Amino acid sequence: MLEVHAVSKTFHSGTPNEVRSLRGVNLDLAAGSWVIIIGTNGSGKSTLLNAVAGTFLVDEGNIRLAGRDVTRWPEHARAALIGRVFQNPFSGSSPSLTIQENLSLAARRGLSRGLGWGLKESLVARMRDEVGRLNMGLENRLENAIGSLSGGQRQALTLLMATWLCPELLLLDEHTAALDPKSADLVIALTEHVVARDQLTTLMVTHSMHQAASLGDRLIMMHRGQIIHDFRGAEKRRLRLDDLLARFEEVRRAEQLDESAAQMLAEKYI
Amino acid sequence: MSLLIGTFTIGCILSLLALGVFISFRIFAFPDITADGSITLGASVAATLLVRGVSPPLASLAGFFAGMLAGACTGTLHTRFKINPLLSGILVMTALYSINLHIMGKSNVPLLSVTTIVTQSEHIGMKLMRGATSFNLAGWEVSVRDASVLGAILWAVALTGGLLYWFFRTNLGMAMRATGDNVQMIRALGVNDANMIVFGVAISNGLVALSGALLAQYQGFADVGMGIGMVVWGLASVIIGEALVGTNQLGLTLSGTVMGSVLFRLLVAVALRWGLSPNDLKLITAGFVFCALIVPQFLRKKWPRSAHA
Repeated sequence: MLEVHAVSKTFHSGTPNEVRSLRGVNLDLAAGSWVIIIGTNGSGKSTLLNAVAGTFLVDEGNIRLAGRDVTRWPEHARAALIGRVFQNPFSGSSPSLTIQENLSLAARRGLSRGLGWGLKESLVARMRDEVGRLNMGLENRLENAIGSLSGGQRQALTLLMATWLCPELLLLDEHTAALDPKSADLVIALTEHVVARDQLTTLMVTHSMHQAASLGDRLIMMHRGQIIHDFRGAEKRRLRLDDLLARFEEVRRAEQLDESAAQMLAEKYI
Repeated sequence: MSLLIGTFTIGCILSLLALGVFISFRIFAFPDITADGSITLGASVAATLLVRGVSPPLASLAGFFAGMLAGACTGTLHTRFKINPLLSGILVMTALYSINLHIMGKSNVPLLSVTTIVTQSEHIGMKLMRGATSFNLAGWEVSVRDASVLGAILWAVALTGGLLYWFFRTNLGMAMRATGDNVQMIRALGVNDANMIVFGVAISNGLVALSGALLAQYQGFADVGMGIGMVVWGLASVIIGEALVGTNQLGLTLSGTVMGSVLFRLLVAVALRWGLSPNDLKLITAGFVFCALIVPQFLRKKWPRSAHA
């Protein structure tokens, strides 16, 4: 479904702030698989997601999605194939528009937008139905501006918007990181429900080791712009919270060793 | 009474300008000052065509499309060439000064002896009143000419407002509103935000130019300097409108903008009547907008909680 081949991206190239965010990343996603990405800060997890979404164009390598080479496609063109939920709950919806207007925008993701009436009755009926299933009591507030809702409510609605038209690929970028624990659990439950119902191919970045251990059927660990571990199938199912923490500790030790070794060498020889 | 009706009429004509400014400044958060040039562009295109004998509605419509073209230029400068919105507007506005002179061929085109929307609506009004030159409205003597012009303008503004209200609730219109609100989201939903901005600024300037076309016909001339300070004028109307309705519901904000324009024109008429020198008008307008922009901040600082609630 998604093929990322030898993708590299360097930001601020040629300046002292140069950051090599992605270094030859290869990733192959089967249709219907749910892949979790974890990694340290600055490891390139979100950068990889943004590279797939088209927020920027990659320096090297290519990206194929649903049988098409999308490497040079602008962000809005790729959106026809991709549903996205951002880390910031305020990024995924338009605050001064009403709930139903936001949903109707999502109902035409990737389709042409003409002078057709945006809020058709059949569409509003489906909205009432689907929003009602969130159990947030929002189905009677469809005409309220979405900016008046809480972060958790907005994130749940963003997830609904991203999956309103079944996307070829769902990108979740730490979509519960900015929520309180209760809302986060609610959004995760909703995510599991939607992904299972529509058999969505999903790429999800998370900070939560708990989510990483319990969700998805494959787990990727990134470090310094590269994929360093890839657990799938039975191996992923066996993976426990402690195993993940141990892997992180490994990475941390390796880093420390490098630093202390360098320091020792510096003291001895300089 | 004639003065009052005249004030209402100009307020209504300039409400199209205010609606244009509302679209660029509020819906798109695009500080577009092309309007200073495009209001004159609308006036000069319409006046030149009227002198050549083109029918008034057609000439006004041509003004509208000329304004759209100017707006599209500003939008393209910003989106395609990444020029700052203010500077894009300044560039196009400056260029329009020369273009307007070319269109008119001189700095002022009088419309005293040609058929305009004003003479046409007066004609229709006279016919409806079967030749009477005035009628009695609640004890006031109202001239049929003045009333019919106001009626025609009111009808035009209501039609434009209705069309805008409808447009901003279509799929395309909603995508445009969301573009000004949250670019990240609208891209993720597959909308080319650059196209939305170009089209939005085009519509905004089309309305401004239409306002100019009507204004030229009402005051009986098009002048190359008539656009100076018009953005600020429109902004003042928008701000008054927001204070009047105090909500961000689309229908209310649109009608609030129209009311704001009429009210602002009334305030100006009263101030002039009380002896304000017309030369000071733009200074006062700028001062008013300045106050309207800083007072909310000031209040928030002074009473953080009450201003928030």
